[in-house]
Amino acid sequence: MSFLRIPFKYRLLMPMGLILLAIMIFPLGYSLAISLQDYELSRIGQERFIGLDNYIRLFSNSSFWTAMGNTITFVVLAVGLELVLGFFLALLLHNKATFMRGFFRSTLLTPMFITPIAVGLMFRFLLNSQLGVIPTALEAIGLRVNWFGPDLALFSIVLIDVWQWTPFMLLLLLAGLESLPEDPFEAARVDGAVGWAMVRHITIPLMRPIILAAVIIRMLDAFKVYEYIYAITRGGPGEATESMQYFIYRTGFIYFRAGEAAAMSFTLIIVITLLVALLFTVLRRESA
Amino acid sequence: MKHTLRKFVTRLATFLILVLGLLVVFFPYFWTFLTSIKDPAAINRPLDFSFTPTAMHWQAVIRAGIPRQALNSFLVGMITVTIALAAGAPAAYAFSRFNVGGAPTRFAVLLAEMLPPSVLIVPLFLLLYHTQVLLGTIWAAVISHLTFILPLVTWFLIGFFDEVPRDLEEQARVDGCSPWQAFVKVVVPTIVPGMAAAGLFGFVLSWNDLFYALILTTGSQRTLPVGVAGYWTFRGVEMGQMSAAILLAILPMILLSFFVQRYLLKGLGGGAITGI
Repeated sequence: MSFLRIPFKYRLLMPMGLILLAIMIFPLGYSLAISLQDYELSRIGQERFIGLDNYIRLFSNSSFWTAMGNTITFVVLAVGLELVLGFFLALLLHNKATFMRGFFRSTLLTPMFITPIAVGLMFRFLLNSQLGVIPTALEAIGLRVNWFGPDLALFSIVLIDVWQWTPFMLLLLLAGLESLPEDPFEAARVDGAVGWAMVRHITIPLMRPIILAAVIIRMLDAFKVYEYIYAITRGGPGEATESMQYFIYRTGFIYFRAGEAAAMSFTLIIVITLLVALLFTVLRRESA
Repeated sequence: MKHTLRKFVTRLATFLILVLGLLVVFFPYFWTFLTSIKDPAAINRPLDFSFTPTAMHWQAVIRAGIPRQALNSFLVGMITVTIALAAGAPAAYAFSRFNVGGAPTRFAVLLAEMLPPSVLIVPLFLLLYHTQVLLGTIWAAVISHLTFILPLVTWFLIGFFDEVPRDLEEQARVDGCSPWQAFVKVVVPTIVPGMAAAGLFGFVLSWNDLFYALILTTGSQRTLPVGVAGYWTFRGVEMGQMSAAILLAILPMILLSFFVQRYLLKGLGGGAITGI
């Protein structure tokens, strides 16, 4: 069959399709196959098929579930805070009356453009108990806070994520606000709605699908948290900040247990899919 | 009168909140810069500002691997983005004009971008290992970065193609262009701003990646984030160098962000996020 007999619209898709087939779809299948084998990177060539053993073993791997719990706690707290802060800032920066609006927009958005490993290292230094400026300053007023101790470490990682990614939430919501139709706002204004009443009864209902999309985008991204943990705690103290992405990286590339790492990845995908489906159902029901 | 006062107070409060936000955003940059020009002894005294500025950390970082790593990151970003735009633009056009696969496909493209890298890293590592030559080179980074930048660029461009009026291609077709010619000569020039924004955003993401680059590149082929991650230390001397390295990694992206933000806002509003 000649190339030109393929309909134009499918020809347009072929370059992307072929690339994704080679670097995503085939690797995904390969990964699934690895997850069913006793596969170690330290002895390539000696792998053997063991069915679902890697998955079954995960159920009794308490470190895996600790990492899963940490990651879910992290995602919920970080994305929740980012949504509240981001929405509030988006409203301020959407308002044409805001002084120096353009300046604040471009400066407040900068954190989302820089490499997360640099963000992790900056905050590791800022919050360090001996050398960091924040603990030193707090100590000067009598407060002793151990930011990366067992109690606070995960929360500190959440705050770092909020610093870097609230701007992205802000950008998504701002884009949404700018795309809303003017008419409902005009009508409400004629009816005398101002301030919070306007936000609650007009803006939020109109923004609902965009908020849902923004939350899902940020959530899926937050599940990949890795750099801050690599830069700061390496999963510690104990297992307090062990995240899925970091745990899988360690299992696969420090302990070389590729089979188990692959099984963990697919379990993670299943958990993420369930959470996204749950979110969709809850938010859809509320709007109905 | 009361109304004007209320308006004034609201505006002032808004301004103060935004200034506070600005301080929170800029303090880490400022502090990192300050550390990069302090001598090692002064770094150990965080609240002491009486030090003589020094360029020693910057000089040390520039003599070390950082410039080479920046060049690697630049090349990886450029190659990745070029391939992503060349393959992503026609695909985005197909999704936009011919609605191939409908709305679920648009969402699937987005989901592809969001796939946790941990799922792909093991098979990518093994595939690259079996090629014998690619593992450890910047090409390994390019291949792994395409897994998220190609879907992202495609998803982003769909919104821009949605806004191109159909009359344009129809006119070109009447004038005797083939569908391909109409696409390349008439449609593509109208979305150059969108392609630039998508390309720059993709470049930023590639430049910032640590996870793939840490595992897939080695030696002189390491990218900048891997180099920056190497300053994982707490000795005064190296803290200064770490700060200089961090600034070298983030400043170009902050500057780029000023150019790309406006288009990002437009691109995200034009169906990319509103269309889900």
